[in-house]
Amino acid sequence: MSQMITPVVTDVNRGFWEGAAEGVLRVQRCPVCGHLRYPLARWCPECLTDGAEWVDLSGRGTILSKLVFHQKYHAAWADRLPYNVVLVQLEEGPRMISNVEPLSATSFAVGDAVTAVFVKEGDVTIPRFRLAD
Amino acid sequence: MSRDRAVITGVGTSRMGTFPDQTSNSLAKEAFVNALADAGLRKSDIDGLITMPGTTSPEGAKHYLALGELLGINPRIAWSMSMGGATVGALVTQAALAIEAGMASTVAVVFGDTAKTGGSRFNAAAGDDDSWGIWGMFGNAANSAIAASRHMAVYGTTSEQLGWVGVTTRRHAALNPNAVMRTPYTIEDHQASRMIVDPLHLLDCCLITDGAVALVVTSPERGRDNASHPVRIMGMGQSHSLQKLGKEDWWYMPHQRTAIADAYRMAGVGPGDIDVAQLYDNFTISVLLWLEHAGFVKPGESGPFVEGGERISIGGELPVNTAGGNLSESYMQGWLHVVEGVRQLRHECGARQVEGAEISLVTGRGMTLNTSAALVLGR
Repeated sequence: MSQMITPVVTDVNRGFWEGAAEGVLRVQRCPVCGHLRYPLARWCPECLTDGAEWVDLSGRGTILSKLVFHQKYHAAWADRLPYNVVLVQLEEGPRMISNVEPLSATSFAVGDAVTAVFVKEGDVTIPRFRLAD
Repeated sequence: MSRDRAVITGVGTSRMGTFPDQTSNSLAKEAFVNALADAGLRKSDIDGLITMPGTTSPEGAKHYLALGELLGINPRIAWSMSMGGATVGALVTQAALAIEAGMASTVAVVFGDTAKTGGSRFNAAAGDDDSWGIWGMFGNAANSAIAASRHMAVYGTTSEQLGWVGVTTRRHAALNPNAVMRTPYTIEDHQASRMIVDPLHLLDCCLITDGAVALVVTSPERGRDNASHPVRIMGMGQSHSLQKLGKEDWWYMPHQRTAIADAYRMAGVGPGDIDVAQLYDNFTISVLLWLEHAGFVKPGESGPFVEGGERISIGGELPVNTAGGNLSESYMQGWLHVVEGVRQLRHECGARQVEGAEISLVTGRGMTLNTSAALVLGR
């Protein structure tokens, strides 16, 4: 398998990846207006206050959209085709691009409930989802 | 009805196809020369040059500078901008506003690209947030697949309904001698074409093409003296969802509705006044969303509307993408949609002419489903 695409950890996203390594979905919260934010950013896009608190989410969500990649776009993912990609609506509000485990799973649907799982790949732990019980 | 700010007085295209010996600017020059001839103008009449850099143009926001040197133009106004498929609508708007403000009299609006042979960016990580590659999310098809999957789940839209957009507009391309792909195919062919990003098949996806387009925009007064029939720029609108995951209904592209509503209002028209529509079709699902946002159907009703293809065919109640669109004519990021809008209103489209066309809606959308622009053009 080719070199996987791994996150470039910065001051802005470090809390997210540390949370993943600990097995929790951790996103930013604005210290002033309380807006939960993902994608991660240096300041709040609602009130433009700099900085963030880190908050652990439940990991629960529902699938908003479901894709199955058949086309090779990147060598790192060529061996995994076909694989799913999902847009997840998290219970607390933010939305994420992620996958349902196993990556080859396709027999699930938009609207299905999911819960976060944390998959170690080399030195990195990647947040993904599984269908909820 | 408000008075027109400007008219499109010339349209020009280069060859469309696969040209490894050409550059984006050599094709742009070809289109520019053809647009001048179409308008019956000389290069010295041009006092504005505004451009969109091609995906293979190295100059970025300074593209106007390189092209102006190559074309030997020293204009009053010049700039470049990039909004993907919404760019042409936005640039025509800027040309019209500059002309109305008296800052320029006759503006060349130009785009060239060698996306086919020059090495394109289309397979890069989807969106500007490269972190999506961590989850295997790549390419522009994926963004539209998000919209398609959700539209199917919410409204019951089917893959076959998406397919009818491609089948129908290919039939239109068969009537267009300049179209790159002219061989008709069936809905069965669509269903049998390989999956790219489920739910989008290969035949849900636009072409990748080398080519260029140039438009000449001038004042209504000057347009009357030109060689070609001037086409009125009646309405102009833009709207953008610059947030992606941060906006709950980003996938549905509600900004498109605002862009069209603004263009309708400026033109003093509504969906019932549109005789022919040129709707940006990077993927088939995009046409369905435009039909809803333009008010031709209610939200969720676009799938049944396009089924069977009759309603969106030439001769149907709303002919769509009469030259074949991005899916079959050529992928010029929506620039040819403006050209076809102009040609339909000049009544020079031969076998694919929509009889008596007086008003056309032309739409464009770009980036990661973010940007949109709409023009209402009139005869």
